[in-house]
Amino acid sequence: MATAKLAVIAPAAAERRPAFGRWPGVLALLPFFAVLLAFCLVPAAWVLISSKPADGGMWYANFAEILSSPFYRQAFGNSLDVSLWSSLAGLVIAVVGVASLRRVPGRLRSAAVAFTNMSSNLSGVPLAFAFIILLGTNGTLTLILRHWGWIDDAHLYSLNGLILIYAYFQIPLGVLVLYPAFDALDDDWQHAASQLGAGPFSYWWHVGLPVLAPALAGTFILLFANAMGAYASAFALTAGNVNLVTIRIASLVAGDIFLQPDLAAALAVLLMALLALVTAVNHWLLNRSYRGD
Amino acid sequence: MSFVEVSGFAKSYGGNTVFEDINFVLARGEFVTLLGPSGCGKSTLLRCLAGLVSLDAGQFRVEGEDITYAVPQKRGIGMVFQSYALFPNMTVSQNIAFGLKMQKLAAKVVASKVAEAIELVELGGKERAYPAALSGGQRQRVALARSLVVEPRILLLDEPLSALDARIRRSLRQQILDIQRRLDLTTIFVTHDQEEALTLSDRIFVMDRGRIVQQGSAETVYTRPANEAVARFMGNYNLLGPQESRLLLGLDIDGHLAIRPEVIRLFAADDVTPGLIPATVMHSQLLGNVVRYQVEAKGVALQIDCLNRRAADLLSDGNRVMLHIAPEDLQEIAP
Repeated sequence: MATAKLAVIAPAAAERRPAFGRWPGVLALLPFFAVLLAFCLVPAAWVLISSKPADGGMWYANFAEILSSPFYRQAFGNSLDVSLWSSLAGLVIAVVGVASLRRVPGRLRSAAVAFTNMSSNLSGVPLAFAFIILLGTNGTLTLILRHWGWIDDAHLYSLNGLILIYAYFQIPLGVLVLYPAFDALDDDWQHAASQLGAGPFSYWWHVGLPVLAPALAGTFILLFANAMGAYASAFALTAGNVNLVTIRIASLVAGDIFLQPDLAAALAVLLMALLALVTAVNHWLLNRSYRGD
Repeated sequence: MSFVEVSGFAKSYGGNTVFEDINFVLARGEFVTLLGPSGCGKSTLLRCLAGLVSLDAGQFRVEGEDITYAVPQKRGIGMVFQSYALFPNMTVSQNIAFGLKMQKLAAKVVASKVAEAIELVELGGKERAYPAALSGGQRQRVALARSLVVEPRILLLDEPLSALDARIRRSLRQQILDIQRRLDLTTIFVTHDQEEALTLSDRIFVMDRGRIVQQGSAETVYTRPANEAVARFMGNYNLLGPQESRLLLGLDIDGHLAIRPEVIRLFAADDVTPGLIPATVMHSQLLGNVVRYQVEAKGVALQIDCLNRRAADLLSDGNRVMLHIAPEDLQEIAP
């Protein structure tokens, strides 16, 4: 009897197997792999190759120069500073914003999401100009606040100014990325927590935030990478006067005085290495957290 | 004084009444089931009792204390959700310990109570498992343990077995009842499953369109439905209107006659005992230990449930039979 049963089951299992195995899926992915190769892997390899000194020095000479130079170390420090604080501000405000958005009526929520979609894509020169006319030295808000005696001067063209302007696109980007992640939260968890004596803070601390941790970490990495790689807004706002890694790379590639693309490539490699390190730490932390799924 | 008093509960959303005029009292240790079809308001009523949904009107007293407006944390009510609502980032032990930690009990006390609760629901060996690694039945037992460990005054169960397969459901049903009896815990159970309600409850409150339309023991609710809605919901009753009653039984009534399918007895077609009604089998359905026949008698369609004793006794479509319905099994009910 057992043999007869197996004989019946085996053809059925065979029928479920795709007729052409995995090949259709692999073929469909070929264009993606081609793009990945052409626009990510080859340029990355080229940047790495190009980081070798043009004057024929040792392959690590440019890295050694960058790491020993206070000027370039300051560029990395400033980039990390602006990226870290603008990403944290973006993440915290986005979490509060999304948690609030989930509780408002559908039409208002849709309008708010549409606005964040628009504002997350407003960056570069137009964004810098918008901030300059509002908060620049003679910006509208600056003049009003100065008139009221609330401020002495505008500080838009500084690192703090950059954090502010970066936050403008980091917050809506954070909202867009986190919005679907909040679907993972079951309302009954909060109800169950309240039945067990937990207030809203305890619920978020013990349940909501830990459940969202993978999404929060992923969003932070995305915002951080976004800020580390941002160039146009910073350049338009400060005309290159703030020392950031991306501004240094641009000036070495297209500079009128210091044209040194090999050093720019070495800076780019270090920037990639830094982002890879942050991503690896993120993965390590996530692997140590719970496996709920 | 009653242990639980609910009076004048009403709730509506945007002009749609969810429930109204809900009144009942419970004794300590009583097991009561809110039974009704989907959308009748029973789950919302349970959530109002838990304090998760606000009431429009009414008063809720437990042991004489008015807790109508108390926050959920201060009600002393435990609740088991249909979706289990286990915290996915916590192990079985951590889930069960959550309420005790919120009470800021000492770690030793928490550990001891958690161990007791795990033993109570027979989940030994699963202490470090995450909810995702548990079966539906195990998750539900964790949810039950988590609610019980904080020693609530009342336990609310919102369709806790609906997502489980039939075998697990039966076993867990008995386990819930055993625990409830052992702890003498006042329990309100919500279900749309009449079998669950009948097997578990000291009393059943049948809800229909936002009202409790009948409350009584399982036996009363099943054998003496208060109205047509309860009869339809409780047990595949044959409901005869005035015209059908006249045709079949020669009775003049204003409302409906309710006849349970298992009280109609079948006899051979050539039986000449007085009072028998000739009928024809239209369709039969084997339900395991019961055979359900659809018959037609004097132009009236009836449903009859018989025990499935022997294959030789099964009737086929088109067979002619005689029916007997005892007068004491006829129940006139309001429309």
